Amino acid sequence: MTWMAPPTVAEAVRLKAEWPEATLVAGGTFVGILTRQGLLAGDDWISLQDVGELRELSTGSELALGAMVTHRRIELDPDVAAGWPGVRQVFAAVASPRVRNAATIGGVLGDADYASDPPAMLIALDAWVEALSVRGLRRVPVADLIVGHYQTSLEEDELITRVLVPRGRQHVTFRKLRTRSREDRPCVAVAASLHEGRVSVVVGAVAERPRRFPDLCATWDPADGASAGEIAAGYADRIDAIGDNRGSAAYRTRMIAVEVRRALDTLAPAALTAQAAAR
Amino acid sequence: MTDPRIRASMRYPNDLTVPGMWHARLVRSPYAAARVTGIDASLVPQDVVVLTPSEVEPLGRYGCQISDQHVLAGVARHVGDPVVAVAAADEATAREAASLVEVSYEELPVVFDERDALRAGAPLVHDTRAVSDGDAAYFGLRPIEGTNVCHRFRIRTAGLPQGEPYTADPEPDDHAEGFDGAQVIVDETFRMPAVQHVAMEPHACIAGWRDGRLEVTTGTQTPFNMRQDLARLFGLPDTDVRVVCPPMGGSFGAKTFVRNEAIAAAVARRLDRPVRLALDREEEFVTLTRHAATVRVRLGAARDGRFVAKRVWCWVNTGAYADCGPGVAMKMGYAGVGPYRFDHVAVDSFCVYTNLPPAGAFRGYGAAQSVWASERVTDLMAAELGVDPVELRRRNLLVDGDRFCTGETMHDVHFQELLDDAARAVDWQPGGDNRGKGVAVMLKGMQTPSRAEVGLRRVDDGRFEVLSGTTEMGQGSAKAIARLAADLLGVDADQVEVPPPDTDRVPYDTRTTSSRSTHMMGRALEAAVDDLKNSGGDHGHGRIANEGGLDVDTGQGIASSHWHQGAAAAAVEVDDETGLLTLRSVHAASYAGRVVDRAAAELQQEGSMTMAIGTTLFEELTFDQGHVVGPNLSDYNIPSALDCAAVSQTLLEVEGAEVHGLGETALPPVPPAIGNALATLGYRPTELPLTPERVLGCAEDAS
Amino acid sequence: MNLLLQVNGAPVQVDVEPGVMLLEVLRDRLGLPGARGTCGVGLCGTCTVLLDGEPISSCILLAPLAQGHAITTIEGVPDDDPVVRAFDRHHAFQCGYCIPGMVLTARSFLAECARARRCPSREQIAESLGGNLCRCGCYVKIIDAVQEVSS
Repeated sequence: MTWMAPPTVAEAVRLKAEWPEATLVAGGTFVGILTRQGLLAGDDWISLQDVGELRELSTGSELALGAMVTHRRIELDPDVAAGWPGVRQVFAAVASPRVRNAATIGGVLGDADYASDPPAMLIALDAWVEALSVRGLRRVPVADLIVGHYQTSLEEDELITRVLVPRGRQHVTFRKLRTRSREDRPCVAVAASLHEGRVSVVVGAVAERPRRFPDLCATWDPADGASAGEIAAGYADRIDAIGDNRGSAAYRTRMIAVEVRRALDTLAPAALTAQAAAR
Repeated sequence: MTDPRIRASMRYPNDLTVPGMWHARLVRSPYAAARVTGIDASLVPQDVVVLTPSEVEPLGRYGCQISDQHVLAGVARHVGDPVVAVAAADEATAREAASLVEVSYEELPVVFDERDALRAGAPLVHDTRAVSDGDAAYFGLRPIEGTNVCHRFRIRTAGLPQGEPYTADPEPDDHAEGFDGAQVIVDETFRMPAVQHVAMEPHACIAGWRDGRLEVTTGTQTPFNMRQDLARLFGLPDTDVRVVCPPMGGSFGAKTFVRNEAIAAAVARRLDRPVRLALDREEEFVTLTRHAATVRVRLGAARDGRFVAKRVWCWVNTGAYADCGPGVAMKMGYAGVGPYRFDHVAVDSFCVYTNLPPAGAFRGYGAAQSVWASERVTDLMAAELGVDPVELRRRNLLVDGDRFCTGETMHDVHFQELLDDAARAVDWQPGGDNRGKGVAVMLKGMQTPSRAEVGLRRVDDGRFEVLSGTTEMGQGSAKAIARLAADLLGVDADQVEVPPPDTDRVPYDTRTTSSRSTHMMGRALEAAVDDLKNSGGDHGHGRIANEGGLDVDTGQGIASSHWHQGAAAAAVEVDDETGLLTLRSVHAASYAGRVVDRAAAELQQEGSMTMAIGTTLFEELTFDQGHVVGPNLSDYNIPSALDCAAVSQTLLEVEGAEVHGLGETALPPVPPAIGNALATLGYRPTELPLTPERVLGCAEDAS
Repeated sequence: MNLLLQVNGAPVQVDVEPGVMLLEVLRDRLGLPGARGTCGVGLCGTCTVLLDGEPISSCILLAPLAQGHAITTIEGVPDDDPVVRAFDRHHAFQCGYCIPGMVLTARSFLAECARARRCPSREQIAESLGGNLCRCGCYVKIIDAVQEVSS
C-alpha cells in the first residue's frame, strides 16, 4: 500500500496517469465513506492534501475556487457572499457545519451524487470546471459535467482543479424541499438565477443529474401570473423523477411543479425591476 | 466531579475488550424465507472458525415468550436472519471471512403484512409453537396452531360473547359487541409502520466460559431474563450463567432478552476463548424493530357524547420471531381502550408472525400504536357529534373509583388535570376556534406482576453500596436509586454507590422496562433500609412485588398496579401545496406522582417527545421483498436538534403520591395530538408517518 | 506508513495502513475511546473530533489526512472547561454516547461566536449542532447549556 502526497497539481496528474488504479483523495469524505463500507479496496492512494494551489480562492471577474476549497470556507468567505450570493447560499445549505468542514467543491462535483445541492446552483450560475490531465487542461461547463448517476464526463486520468463562476448573478434563489428531518438531504432542490433578463432554473435531487430547460425558461414573463406555473408544469412533465426514502416519483413530480413556480415567483420582483430599468 | 458521561470517562459495552478475545461476524440470510441447503466455507482461511446451524441445533430453541428461535437459523425466516457465525483473532479477518462463506438456499413462500398473514392461503412462518416457561412468559400465552397467530389477547366486559378466534377482516356485530345503545358510531382503521430504535451505541457483547460457567458482558435491559434463557439453552442452572451489564449508549427496548449473546456464547464455547460480537449500524435494522400494527377502532356514543361501547382490533406485526410481541399485543390491546368509561368493551389483539425482521420492546411498548388509533377516533367522534374534542374527553375520562375495561378500579388517576394542562399549553379555546390544534390523552400500564429485590451493604462508616439489577441506558437510574437510598439512609447521595448490575452480585429484578424501576426499586429500598436498620446496620435486603395480571381470554383482572398517565397537545401549520407539516408547539403533560430527580425526569419527557416527533413526521421502515430499504442513517432519519425546537412539558406531582415512571409516558399521546391538529385543517390522517406526501394523500378534498 | 500526529497537544507516532480511518487510530491505537463509531457515514456526529479547532467526522477521515493538523479529542478537554461545566450543570446528557461530539462541536461554535463577537440565538445553536444526533433527545438541555456559556 502506497500513500502518495504530491506537492503540485502537475505532479498529481502525472501520478494519476502512472497509477490508473490508485484512488484519488481530495477532502476524503466520499472516499472515506466508500472505504469504510468496504466498497473501495484501495491499495494505492494519491492524496491532494499538500497541493496548496488547489486551496486557492480568488475573486475578480470570475470567482475561482480551487477544487480542495471546503464548503465551509465558501460559506464564510465575505467576498463570495458579496459577489456570489447564490454560491454562498447553496454551500451553506449542505448538511451540517461539520460535514461542510471536510466536503470540498471538487469532491461534490466529482462525486456527482444526485442529491447534492451545489451542482444545481453552479449550473444555474453558468459555472465552469477546469479539468487537468497529462494531456492538458479542459474547460467544461458544470452543466456538461454530471452526466448520470454518480457519473461525470471526466476522463479516468482527469482531475478537477478549479471551479469558475462568472460574476453578476446577484438575483438568485435556492429552494431545498426536505420532507423529513431538517438535516435530511433534499427531496427536490431548485436553483434559479437571473442574468441579463434571462432566468436559469435548475432542478436537482429528482433525477440522476440536475435538469435545466432553457427553452422553457425563455418563455418566462414575470408580469404574467400564470407564466411561472406553466414553466413549472413543463419541468414536472419533462423530468422522469426518481423515488426514494424522501419521496415517491409521483410526489417529486408534483413538487417540481410547486417548487419551480415558487422559485420563479421569488425572482419575479427583481426581474420586473430590471425590466423597468431597462426601458 | 463532572459526570463521567460528558468527558467519556466510562466504558460502554461497545468499548470493552478482554485479553485473548476473538471477533465474531455473522453471515445473514438475503432471503425473507429460505431453507439453508448448503454451506461452503472452503474459501475461508484455516485459522478462522466457522459455526453452522447444524452444530448448534442440539441446543434447541429459545425465546422469552414463545420458544421459536434457534441460535443459528437452518431455516431463515427474515432477511438478515443469522445463519452462520465466523470468528477470527481480529475483526478485519472475521469480516473478510464472513464475506467468503457461500450459503445456498431454497426459497420458501413469504408473507409480510400482518393481516395478509391471517388470510386464507398465507404461508406459515413457523410450523410449531412452543410456549416458553421462562419468567418473561408471565401471562397465559395463546398461540393458535395452524395460523400465524403466536398470541391472542382478548378483552370482553361482562355479558359480551367471545367472538371469532381470529380474523383479518372483522364484520362488526353491534348486538354482540354492545353497540345497541349507541346512537352514533365511528369506525376507522389506522396503521403505524415499523421503526427502528437507533440507539446511538450498536449492540455489542462479549461471551466467555470459565470453569463451566458462562459469563456474558453485554448491553441489556433484562439481565435476569437473559441469564435464565441462556442457562436453559446451554443446559445450565441459572447460577452458572453470569450477566454483567455496563451502562448502555441508549437502548429504548432494542437491547432486551437474548439478542446476539447466544451466538457469542456458542462461538466462545467452540473456541474456548472469549468472543466479542458487535453489530454494524446496517445490522441493527434487522436485529429488532418496533411492531408495525394495524389497529381498527369502532366507537359508539350517545348523542350527548357519553361513550357507550368500544371495539378494538389490533393486528400486531411481530416479524419472524415472537420475542415479547405477545406482551406488546396485550398492552396495545388495553391501551387502545383509553382512559374512558364505557358500558361495553371488546378488544382482540393478535400478535402475528410475518417474514419481516423481528419486532420487540420499544419505548411505549404497544401503547403508541393503539393510542394513535384510539385518540384519532375520539376526535372523529367529536367531529361527528359537533362537540369540542376536549369537552368530549372530559365527559368520559376515568376518575378515581371508576372501573377500567379490565374490571379494575382506578386510583390515583389525574387524566382531567393532564388534559387541561395540555389544552392550556396550546391556548385551547373551549367551544371556539381551535383550527390547527389537537389534543390526546392516554394511559399505559406498568409491568404487572413484577418483582424487585435490592441489596444494601455498608462499605465503611459513611458509605453504602446498593446492589440493584436495574440497568442504565441513559435514564439516570443509578443516580435516582442512589438518591432514593441516600434519602432513606439519611446520608448524601454521593455516599451511596450503585454499581452496574452483575447477576452474580445483585438480587433478582424482573427487568428494566416498562418505566418501573424508579418506582419498584424505591419501594424495595424502603424495605432494604428497614432491614438494615433492624438487623445491625451492615446489610439489608428488600423484596417487593406488585401483584396482578390479566386473564388473557377475558382481559379481566389487574392490568397495572398503577397507571402511567399522559396527555399531549400540538399546534401545527400545513403547507397545502407540499404537505409539509410544521410544528408550532408540542406539549406533553405526564403524571409523575413524585419526582425523584427533576433534570432526569425532564430529560425522559423531552426524549420521549423527540422520539414521538420522529414517529409522527418521518420515521418509517420500508421493505422491499423483506429487505429494509436504506438501512443507514442517511436514508433513515431520526430527529435532529432542528426538529424539536417547539417542545415543552409538565410534570404533574401530587403530595404523598407514589413515584410514577416517566420513561415512556410522553411518547404515545404526541402522535395523535399532532394528527388531531392536522385533521382540523382539512385532512383525515390514519397512517403514520405524516410525511408531506402522506399528508397530501389524506387531504379530504383530494384532487 | 508512519504517521506523526498531534493529539491533544502532544506529538504521537503510529504505524498504520494508509486506508485506516482516524477514528480507529484514536480508539484502537491511542486508547482514546471518546470518539465513537455509530453510523459509519460521517452523519451522526459521535465520531467528532476537532482538527485545528474545527469539527470533523473522524470515522471517514483517512488517518494520513490528519497529519500536520492539531487533533483535539474529548479527552483533551479539561474537566473545568466552561462547556463541560455547563453540560454538567444543566444535566445535558442521558446515555452520553453523543456527548463528546456535542461538547467538541459546541466549543468550536462558541469560539467562532466569540471571534465574531456575536451572541447566538437558540436556532443558531441548534443549527450548529444539527449534525450531532442524540437519540435520547437531550437537545433542549444541550442548547440550554450552550446558550448559558455563550451569554
